[in-house]
Amino acid sequence: MSTAQEKVTANSDAGRLAGKYLTFALGREEYGLEILKVREIIGYMDITAVPRTPEYVRGVINLRGQVISVIDLRAKFGMESAARTDQTCIIVVEIQRNGRRLNTGIVVDRVSEVLNIGADKIEGPPEFGAAVRVEFILGMGKINDSVKILLDIDKVLSAEDAAAVAGAAEAAAVGAVGAAA
Amino acid sequence: MQKLTALTDRLVSSTLVAKSDDLPALAAVHTLLQSLRGEADRPESRAAVEAEAGGADRLGAVRDAARTTERLVESIILREVSDAEASMRQVESAVASLQQMINELMGAPEGQGATQKSVPPGQTQAAAAPAPTATAAPSPVTGGAAPAATGAGSSAGDQPHRIEEADLPLVFEFVAEAATHLESAEAGLLKLDEDPNDAESINAVFRGFHTIKGVAGFLNLKQIGSLAHAAETLLDLARKQKLSLTGGCLDIVLESSDAMKRLIAALDAAAKNNQPVPPDASLAALLERLERAIKDPQSVAASAAKKSSETETATETAAATPNTTNTASAASAASAPATATPVSAASGDGSVRVSTDRLDNLINMVGELVIAQSMANQDVLSAAGGDHRLTRSMQRLGKITRELQDLSMSMRMVPIQGVFQKMSRVVRDVSRKIGKQVDFSFTGGETELDRNVVEAIGDPLVHMVRNSVDHGIEPPDARIRAGKPPSGKVTLRAYHQAGNVVIEIADDGRGLNKGKILQKAIANGLVPAGQESQMSEQDVFKLIFAAGLSTADKVTDVSGRGVGMDVVRKNVEALRGRIETASVEGQGSTFTIRLPLTLAVIDGLIVRVGDQRYIIPILSVEQSIRPRAQELSTVQDRGEMCLIRGAVLPLFRLHKLFNVKPKHEDPTQALIVIVEEGGRRCCLMIDELVGQQQVVIKSLSESLGQLKGVSGGAILGDGSISLILDVPGLVQLAVKSETE
Repeated sequence: MSTAQEKVTANSDAGRLAGKYLTFALGREEYGLEILKVREIIGYMDITAVPRTPEYVRGVINLRGQVISVIDLRAKFGMESAARTDQTCIIVVEIQRNGRRLNTGIVVDRVSEVLNIGADKIEGPPEFGAAVRVEFILGMGKINDSVKILLDIDKVLSAEDAAAVAGAAEAAAVGAVGAAA
Repeated sequence: MQKLTALTDRLVSSTLVAKSDDLPALAAVHTLLQSLRGEADRPESRAAVEAEAGGADRLGAVRDAARTTERLVESIILREVSDAEASMRQVESAVASLQQMINELMGAPEGQGATQKSVPPGQTQAAAAPAPTATAAPSPVTGGAAPAATGAGSSAGDQPHRIEEADLPLVFEFVAEAATHLESAEAGLLKLDEDPNDAESINAVFRGFHTIKGVAGFLNLKQIGSLAHAAETLLDLARKQKLSLTGGCLDIVLESSDAMKRLIAALDAAAKNNQPVPPDASLAALLERLERAIKDPQSVAASAAKKSSETETATETAAATPNTTNTASAASAASAPATATPVSAASGDGSVRVSTDRLDNLINMVGELVIAQSMANQDVLSAAGGDHRLTRSMQRLGKITRELQDLSMSMRMVPIQGVFQKMSRVVRDVSRKIGKQVDFSFTGGETELDRNVVEAIGDPLVHMVRNSVDHGIEPPDARIRAGKPPSGKVTLRAYHQAGNVVIEIADDGRGLNKGKILQKAIANGLVPAGQESQMSEQDVFKLIFAAGLSTADKVTDVSGRGVGMDVVRKNVEALRGRIETASVEGQGSTFTIRLPLTLAVIDGLIVRVGDQRYIIPILSVEQSIRPRAQELSTVQDRGEMCLIRGAVLPLFRLHKLFNVKPKHEDPTQALIVIVEEGGRRCCLMIDELVGQQQVVIKSLSESLGQLKGVSGGAILGDGSISLILDVPGLVQLAVKSETE
């Protein structure tokens, strides 16, 4: 594609992606979630572990009578786990799975703020780099001097993408049980 | 162009119900105006009106009028007008003239019910169904291809019939009512089988078809109308005693009832998927035979025997279709309100149609209320237990919540009458087909079950009833030789017992032959040869539920392939029920199905392992004991066993399976729970028993997929989540981990 065409595509993509994002942090990296997908933010609470689930599934919690699963985003991205602080919270997002709406929680280190990111501030995902797999990224938002990685949360949490990771985690879990037996 | 009319109709009704301060309603009107404008702007619409003189101009006028009205609505929403009421009235008259313009554009309405119905204002529409229209508005029904003109209206229904959007709520209501009419018609027909002169029944069947004919005519449903008319004519002759409803004539009416069910099901499916209704190919032949019957009843009566095989297949569809219709409507996510929960038989006491989605929502909410109340109760008691007034208030709240829960659960209950009735038909058709004489009767039809359970139990019951007639009941001569009356008896019983619903299927046939069952089981490798002596009678009976086992000497197309009982058992277990067998050779068999009264709540035994609590369904628990050292043993140093009352059962450590640090590693210090599921028993090692509680099951499968060993989650009284264990899954897990 010529640079002019690239610019046009980039612009229309950016136009589509412009809007409000909830920003949060995992370690030193800052991410953004489309605000429309955020149901609520709750302080960290005790999570009931569910056996034989992938590493990144922390377990389930009781949200006003609804049982929802909670994902450790760090684990999902292959980052090291971090100690819990009093800034750690759970963001409840509403994603689409199999044509149905599903509420899931994600554990993050720190929630920052809601930012209105204009089309001019959004660029396409980088070609390489990051512990984050590229298809999870909607784009990169540049605010002042920092860059927020805008996540496609449906893809991040979708079952298919996790399959490869899930297989490895399960094998490890089974191996641990077998060794203990 | 059809779309324009549909949009206008909805616009008219929405405007009528919108008040100047009702923002959501105004927003709906605004959206409709936008859609209208968009529709008028499309090249296809312009092409459609181009042919007429001034057509394009008029379309442009429609577009402009829509835009102006849109802006007016906007200003009302944004409160930019000084007199909202006056502006609303302006909107109303603008919409009225829009409607006028569009009517003129469409020219003379050509058998298009929609336009006809809306000109006497959308009042009839609005009055009849304002809620459904409003619900339908945001739904995706507006999407999809703009339906072309209703051509099917004119031809004799041999073209796919397109259902108009405005008719959708009426169609769904028709489907639900037709089902009820057909049910009572079939009941009447079966009574006529015994007593062809029962005037009451003839009238009932006649009325059923007559009513269907009426509504079908109103909704322009040609095929359904023709069938209803033909059947009604035949029945009228019967009413006037010009013919007798026996043999072939009765069969043909039964066939018509089946065909009608098929047509209604097709209509329902088409309406849900926004598709045209495909014409039914077999209808023409049936109509022809009905005509012949009307002209010359005698000729039809004679051909009774031949038709019975067709009726058999029809019964399959008949038994299956109402199920499909019900399941489909239960699971429907379509725009218009789904069908209602039938509250009672046609006894005429007041009832209300409620969408099943709403009902399910209500029940979920009540479920959450129970949990919230329980949590609040605990917190209040621990914080201010001494305050009498507060405690009393909380007690009252608890009582009211429990009553509310019982009440809401009961709303989903329906009598099992309908399912039992269907069995009547199954018995009649199967027995005729294979030449056996069977007396069928049932009691307890008024016993109520959860709607979903009633649907799910239908197929298993059909299978078991067929089995009884096919394998259980002997042919008349064999019965006479055995000293029994030539006609066999098959009875169904339903009743409540200890929080369960019990359904019994009994026959006085030849009973289960233990020898034959064992033979087949050994031949299939299910039982190692030489083990027979160790098996109790119950163990042998349980074998009939194994896949692939059938003691039928020959396979008929009714049964004999050995796939049925296995599926029956699975279905019953999926409903968290159990099935028991009792039989005496030569005398008969009785199968007893026990089902829990509600699907979402179970009695659970709460156990603790380490700092985690789990729930084991009480139904699976036999007992719990503290084992003594001499009762424990290991096999090959890997599998642990425990001796319980003479039986050696495998022992599984929950803490190992779930990777939890337990309080006790030594089984003699811990507790073991003996569980039984699907005929297999095993021991689960836990730290302690916490208690017994009724818990609401929350599904985890949507978020976490199918988990082995865990059937769901439950919220305990203190708000924490406990996993509900699935015993068969646990056993599989344990066995797998031990062999690795």
